Amino acid sequence: MTGKQKKQFWNALQVILILTAAFIMLIPIIWIFLAAFKTHVDVYQLKVFFTPTIENFGTVFESPYHLGDKLYNSTVVAGVTVLFAIPIATCAAYSFSRFSLTGEMTMLVMILATQFVPAVVIILPFFVMFRDIGLLDTRLGLILINLAIVMPFAIWMIKGFIDGIPIETEEAAMVDGSTRIQVILNIVLPMAAPGLFTAGIFCFILAWNEFLFALILTNKDAVTLPIGLALFKAEEGDLWNLLSAAGIIIMAPMFVLALIIRKHFVQGMTMGAVR
Amino acid sequence: MRDKSLKYVLVLPAVFVVFATAIWPLVESLRLSFTVGRLNRPNFPQEYLGFENYAWAFLEEPAFWNSVQVTAIYTLVTVVLTTVLALGLALLLSPGGRLRSTVQTLLILPFAMSPALIGVSFRFMFNPEFGLFDAFFSFVFPPLAHISWLSDPTLAFAVVVMADVWGWIPFLTLVLIGGLASVPRDTIEAAQVDGASGWRVFKDVTLPQLMPVLAVVIILKTIFSLKTFDQIYMLTNGGPGTATQTLSHYIYFSGLKYGQIGYSASVAWLMVIPMIFLTYLYAKHMFRKG
Amino acid sequence: MAEIKLEKLTKRWGDFIGVDNQTIHIHDKEFFVLLGPSGCGKTTTMRMIAGLEEPTDGEIWIGDRMVNDELPKDRDVAMVFQNYGLYPHMTVYDNIAYPLKVRKTPPQEIETRVAKAAEQVELTEFLDRKPKAMSGGQRQRVALARAIVRTPLVFLMDEPLSNLDAKLRVTMRAELKHLSHELKITTVYVTHDQIEAMTLADRIAVMNHGVVQQLGTPDEIYNNPENIFVASFIGSPAMNLIQGSLLDGWFVTTGGTKLTRVGGGDKERVVLGVRAEDFIITDAGQGDIDVPVYATENTGESVLLTIQFGKQRVSAKGDRHLDKKIDDIVGLKVKPEHLYLFDPVTEKRIRPGQ
Repeated sequence: MTGKQKKQFWNALQVILILTAAFIMLIPIIWIFLAAFKTHVDVYQLKVFFTPTIENFGTVFESPYHLGDKLYNSTVVAGVTVLFAIPIATCAAYSFSRFSLTGEMTMLVMILATQFVPAVVIILPFFVMFRDIGLLDTRLGLILINLAIVMPFAIWMIKGFIDGIPIETEEAAMVDGSTRIQVILNIVLPMAAPGLFTAGIFCFILAWNEFLFALILTNKDAVTLPIGLALFKAEEGDLWNLLSAAGIIIMAPMFVLALIIRKHFVQGMTMGAVR
Repeated sequence: MRDKSLKYVLVLPAVFVVFATAIWPLVESLRLSFTVGRLNRPNFPQEYLGFENYAWAFLEEPAFWNSVQVTAIYTLVTVVLTTVLALGLALLLSPGGRLRSTVQTLLILPFAMSPALIGVSFRFMFNPEFGLFDAFFSFVFPPLAHISWLSDPTLAFAVVVMADVWGWIPFLTLVLIGGLASVPRDTIEAAQVDGASGWRVFKDVTLPQLMPVLAVVIILKTIFSLKTFDQIYMLTNGGPGTATQTLSHYIYFSGLKYGQIGYSASVAWLMVIPMIFLTYLYAKHMFRKG
Repeated sequence: MAEIKLEKLTKRWGDFIGVDNQTIHIHDKEFFVLLGPSGCGKTTTMRMIAGLEEPTDGEIWIGDRMVNDELPKDRDVAMVFQNYGLYPHMTVYDNIAYPLKVRKTPPQEIETRVAKAAEQVELTEFLDRKPKAMSGGQRQRVALARAIVRTPLVFLMDEPLSNLDAKLRVTMRAELKHLSHELKITTVYVTHDQIEAMTLADRIAVMNHGVVQQLGTPDEIYNNPENIFVASFIGSPAMNLIQGSLLDGWFVTTGGTKLTRVGGGDKERVVLGVRAEDFIITDAGQGDIDVPVYATENTGESVLLTIQFGKQRVSAKGDRHLDKKIDDIVGLKVKPEHLYLFDPVTEKRIRPGQ
């Protein structure tokens, strides 16, 4: 029965490795989660058991931190970015998916390529321009530049969803007497709706987590949550319990959203290069 | 409206947005890279200097070369480590079953975390007095106890690499699990019946068929490693000294902290060139399938 | 030299039973076909022999070795997969050579044996190609060559012809038969196509719901079905199953017509099995029963009539010159020597003579 024992040994080893990997992947998150409920005394010790407090979540919203303002900014910036990006991307994605355009390949590759341009390259001219026209430290400025990050993903992702809708349905509708616009409104949009929702959530996460643009373009009024983390650096060092509470406020909504669209996450990130 | 014109009307807004938010800044950066472009001087002088900014970077700035070196090593190490570990994890997780699919689902979580937050949490974890990783390492290897990780150039670099690998493994693993699932099951079974051991099945059959996905993963990770900024900024801010200063961080500092927009635009463009090459590779892989 | 013995073999996934406590002995050098509809457990049985699936219970013997705990690579079997399982990144040559390479066969020998196998399946001129550049039939041959390049104890073939078009399937079937005759190696062949089973097999095991319904030679299976399932699964068109009763040894239809004498006294409900070719079609009034034609199909070699038989429809095969139209009334007679009676409850065969 050595064959069987060998198999059992391998299975056990695999389970141990998987659990270890899962532990390593989760421990920083768990640790932040615990720290968010610790008092500023407990947080400076390696305690696993402690009396939890939700005081930190109150403190971060109070003066001088005012995390509520940042939360508002992040929500508005990410939300409006998505509201702009999805309709524009949907129109383009439909056209790319269903028609053959002159220079289609070039356009698609260009759109793909823009996502790989380092953000620092894009930000330099925008900083200069925003400074000149007074868009620095405004939510509008951030929304405009977040479109740069979000658009390529949205177009490629939605194109993937529309590619998956059988063209026969549209052809049937046109034979039945619909115009192209009616086809798009009555057939394509309802059928692509789950895909648009997924793409919207994906783009929301990207915009929400965006760091470099917000770091450079904002300093007071339009500061978003990731930048707000810097508030919790005090003279005596980092205020870890508050940082953790703020971290939870940033992470938690994204976890929920990511779990909702988890099946499409990979496809979104690779822009359909891997399905 | 006829389809003939409609199809262009539909793409127009998107093309405009992409042009305005990516193509224009790219071209404008290129223009700026040939100018004085000092933000900290009155009236933002923009006289043309020719290639002087580029020459300055190449000949006069050890900090530039330092960041090139840091970025190169950082990219190499993170790409290799992340890919190898993710491949191992993907192989472990791909057979399915309750435990494995639960872990697959959990992998989404670190991936939804913003890179800046990853930077913060690793700074927390490696705190020499109350950091959890610090406690762990000193437990395993006592001489490492209470070391100020982020004050030592080599250790700080190691922490930055660990944070990056930690943040990217979930995504790469998920991609590779997808890739493994698309390797036809019967080719693997055929090899088993043909007499190949587990390792040979992997080497002769699975790996070659996984190559296209692996290539995408490696190119993508290389691009993201080259661009790294967020974690570094939050974790070490390039320090100690310039030990962890990547190109993105260097460009940010010289351009926006010291106001040398023209100069940093030229460095930024030096960074765009390898990106164009990598994007070309990526697009080639992508369209070869379709 | 290898017989295969499956002893009380069971495969369960949770509550689902794939193979239910089956004992099957496959003789040495036999061409053995596992036949049944999809999900009947035939492929699972084969995969357990290959070692690709682990039995929940029972034993698998190949020759005099109990192989339950052996990996596929150690079982000395060769397998042809439904989708061929060719290695897409290797040339045809490397595909065929792979089983030899992993067994560390000397290069010289690999070369001669690959050449020989390629010749047997007429692939010699394609050795440098990749599978992608080949047609379905050619890929099928590569898979075959990869299996025959060694001399394994057992060949396993999992629906190897199902992905080919109808014409090619017939030629490949003949080639397979020739090859197995030449090689004389125990072969287990899985299919859902009863014609493949009938033409290729030395013996057939008809499976359904994880249970072997009948095991025997093609002749036995066709002419002496044990139950309704086997009777209706074998033969094309499927055997007609006519509901009725037994009255004093006569089969009486649900409509009340005395059709034919079958013997065996009285029984309230029986099923009469008649194959389409065992009906004799006559003009109206000259058969045992008059029935209207529902549809006619001329297949070229014969005419197939679908007949409205009370509430049921039955098919009857007639001469290719038969000239009947829809709604014509025809007479039907049955050949009494080819009738099968079944119990509708147990679905088992009733043999009135015994």
